[in-house]
Amino acid sequence: MSKENPTALERFIWGIIPENPIFRQVLGTCPALAVSTDIKAALTMTCATAFVLICANTIISLIRHLLKPHLRIVVFVLTIASFVTIVDYLLAAFYYSMSLQLGPYVPLIIVNCIIICRCEVCASKQSVGVAISDAIGQSLGFGLALVSMASFREILGSGTWCGFRIMPDSWPNWVLMLLPPGAFFVFGFLIGAVNWFTSLKKNKSS
Amino acid sequence: MKKEHPLFLCIKNSYLGQSWLVILLSIFFGFTLSGVQAFLQEKIDTNKSNQSMRIVPTLVPGAVTGKSVTVGDLTVYEALNQNNKRAGWVIPARGQGFADKIEILIGLTPDASSLSGLSVLNQKETPGLGSRITESSWLSQFIGKGTTDSLTPTKNPVPSKNEIRAITGATISSFSICQIVNENVKKFRAELRKQQADP
Amino acid sequence: MDLIGLFLLAFNATLINNYVLHYFVGICAYIGVSKRIEMAFGMGCAVTFVMGVAAMLSWSAIYFLLQPGAPLTSFIFKTIHPGSDSVVNLSVLNSIVSIFVIASSVQLVEMYIRKFFPALYKAFGVYLPLITTNCAILFACIEIMKHVGKNAVEPWGLDKALLLAISAGMGFTLAIVLMAGIREDLENADVPAPLQGPGITLITAGIFAMAFMGFTGIDRGLAVLFGR
Repeated sequence: MSKENPTALERFIWGIIPENPIFRQVLGTCPALAVSTDIKAALTMTCATAFVLICANTIISLIRHLLKPHLRIVVFVLTIASFVTIVDYLLAAFYYSMSLQLGPYVPLIIVNCIIICRCEVCASKQSVGVAISDAIGQSLGFGLALVSMASFREILGSGTWCGFRIMPDSWPNWVLMLLPPGAFFVFGFLIGAVNWFTSLKKNKSS
Repeated sequence: MKKEHPLFLCIKNSYLGQSWLVILLSIFFGFTLSGVQAFLQEKIDTNKSNQSMRIVPTLVPGAVTGKSVTVGDLTVYEALNQNNKRAGWVIPARGQGFADKIEILIGLTPDASSLSGLSVLNQKETPGLGSRITESSWLSQFIGKGTTDSLTPTKNPVPSKNEIRAITGATISSFSICQIVNENVKKFRAELRKQQADP
Repeated sequence: MDLIGLFLLAFNATLINNYVLHYFVGICAYIGVSKRIEMAFGMGCAVTFVMGVAAMLSWSAIYFLLQPGAPLTSFIFKTIHPGSDSVVNLSVLNSIVSIFVIASSVQLVEMYIRKFFPALYKAFGVYLPLITTNCAILFACIEIMKHVGKNAVEPWGLDKALLLAISAGMGFTLAIVLMAGIREDLENADVPAPLQGPGITLITAGIFAMAFMGFTGIDRGLAVLFGR
């Protein structure tokens, strides 16, 4: 998986499972833990991050030949921070209740390591097409991780999925899942599960 | 190797030659952001005030709209009835709850002598226990309480005049709400009295 | 001076709303640098220090430059446009300025420590530049951002901003040092292979978070104790 210049399709597929930003690289864990109490918040967060990631990757890839090595991080941070501010304003203008619920975690996308890592690894080295497909793949991977965590926490914690009741009415809501410890437990066990599956696959193929 | 003109080298190695991309990008993003702000700021401001304004009529009986006013150094809402007369006050307040900050709106009668309503804007209390402070059946017991004495939570099934029935399993959340109400109403009454004495 | 209020603010930021275990910020560093106690302590100190510097700088930047009707920008605007009565509002730049303030205060701290405390500089090593992307510091700046300016619900002075940053940093240090202590012993334990590394660290953090939940509500009792 360590080819010099992967193609767009490879980048896209890697982002989803083999190099999943949350479960495999353990990057950007802060939003994954904080906004995974319900599906709606998780999806909004994914869209916001995807917007920033795609825009930043595109811009960086367009200007990759002009970057000076020692100033590249400044350029990355400037680009990311600007897009995050735009997303913050868009959210506050068109989805105010969600913007209140996500609170400080929207501006915190600036320091989401996934974005700066993708700019560094992919966008500053490869063409625009590859960079965009990489961004979409990574966003899908990020969204997959967030939604799977949110599913566990919402189903166990409030007995609903995306607002629909799916557990029987006698289900005593497992409140701990909605509280900080639940986030850590679900995340820990999901990482374990993903690692276990990949090791099973490896054993089979060898 | 091609020999470069010394002036070209001089420019290339100067601060400007090194950082022109950063400066150009800053200008570009500066314009983008100011455009975004120009388009959206107004909408965000209306969203912000709507969030509280929408609740104002439910907190003060007879009120139709609210308007933001300053009393002393507090920013509160004045609830207005159909004839644009004062129907009461709504004070935004916040304080530490059990787990995190709680934000509430307190409705008061025109002379601020008793509570006319209470609404929780924002809370992160324990779901199922502390989060029951948002239930209207619990909040409704604040209506009509006098503001001269401070409110205290109690476990008695039949609370007396200045007592609030605490939620089982969420004594501290109930206590916090009482505390926030007491503190902010006291502050507001003092400011109001000061303003009335010295208009 | 409202000493009790300040104490409660610090208590809150350190233990009750611990940045790592309640707000989930700074998890990257929390998982990455918690293998050895000395390393964890160094990281915690560095974060606390940078957080304090960044909090002071970003408070001043927001107060004097960015808040609606800020003194310095208003003055500049008035000199260019005399007679105009529109309010200058640069708050759109809040997060961008904060992140650059953090980046430059990391640089500043790095230079200062390298010059005056070479031993300490060696101890911090690679962690100093890493701090820039630590979400905990930006989170502290955002938290302060909400409390600066005339429109804020409860405006904070520089003292409260600094206190919040230092106590939040202390909370981070406490959490990361505790975790490092557990992880040093975990090395001898027989952890199932898929859970090794981040998995078991997160589950341990979950147990810590449960323990720290025991602090919730204490501040109310303390406030009553001090007669507030």
